[in-house]
Amino acid sequence: MAVRPVVTLPDHRLKQPSATVGRVGAAARALAADLVDTMRASPACVGLAAPQIGENVRAFVVDVTGHRKARSCHGEFVLFDPEVLSAHGPVVAREGCMSVPDLTGDVARATEVVVRGMTVDGVDRVLTVDAFEARAVLHELDHLDGLLFLDRVVSHDSVFHRKVYR
Amino acid sequence: MPHFAVTAVGADRPGIVAAVTGVFVEHGCNLDDCSMTILRGHFAMMIVVDAPARLDADALEQALATPAAAYDLVLAVRAIDDERPPSPSGDAWNVAVYGADRPGIVHRVTSLLAAEGANVVDLSTRVIGPADRPVYAMLLDVTLPSGGTGDDLRARLDALAKELGVECSLHPSEADIL
Repeated sequence: MAVRPVVTLPDHRLKQPSATVGRVGAAARALAADLVDTMRASPACVGLAAPQIGENVRAFVVDVTGHRKARSCHGEFVLFDPEVLSAHGPVVAREGCMSVPDLTGDVARATEVVVRGMTVDGVDRVLTVDAFEARAVLHELDHLDGLLFLDRVVSHDSVFHRKVYR
Repeated sequence: MPHFAVTAVGADRPGIVAAVTGVFVEHGCNLDDCSMTILRGHFAMMIVVDAPARLDADALEQALATPAAAYDLVLAVRAIDDERPPSPSGDAWNVAVYGADRPGIVHRVTSLLAAEGANVVDLSTRVIGPADRPVYAMLLDVTLPSGGTGDDLRARLDALAKELGVECSLHPSEADIL
């Protein structure tokens, strides 16, 4: 368990599709712990995907607890091999990313999402998420397909400089 | 390494960016930040380039004379400070102002913003709608001193908008870091 350096552009690992886990073993559980620790190391961080700590593996952690835009909130959860079962109601909002320094952008994302994945215990879990939690889940899922918010901005003039974020 | 501000404006047509940036490549310049858009049918470019030490602004402008002539561009190259000047820090907000076109909207709104300590970091305006009833739309990204609610500024903006007969809104544009 460790706080790992967050990979930033132009690291090519951010643009690679990640491999499925299949079965949750010791390595996957260690990865989950590192994801949680690394997310916790940045107080404003509400989610982190494995490629962001340099592992091209289909896993992410999300925790939107206490976020003012959150409606649904499942607390801290790690999902392996997540897949979207349904997604509706795109809404545009401004996002930034730990892996994309200096910029933010307006991205349309579904606000009602059902996602399925495996927990750290290897158990299948289906989560119905909405509002900000849905945005966080979809943002992290994109990382597993090598997509950054920059690939989804609604128009180039909706990319903005952001405050320095550490 | 000297930095130059290059501005060029000309009737929009395909190939302008490729022609201008081709000169940069030939002369060892590196494009830094740039903004290019169409303003009333004219393609307008504002570019900051890093140039090799041996190149001065006049030489680069002379080299750019070829694409400028080919594409009928009004073009200028000026040396700028190598340092990156810091903008005042603060919280990000959006301001939108729109309504019947009349002189002085930008000046009045930005004067109010300046008096309130707001720093404009991006501004675009467009005249839209039919020629006999033009609508003026202005979108601004501003930074305000950290931690404010925006309520005072909103009240003042509302009062000014009423006086000018336009609509105005102010809302925070803080991004969520995911």
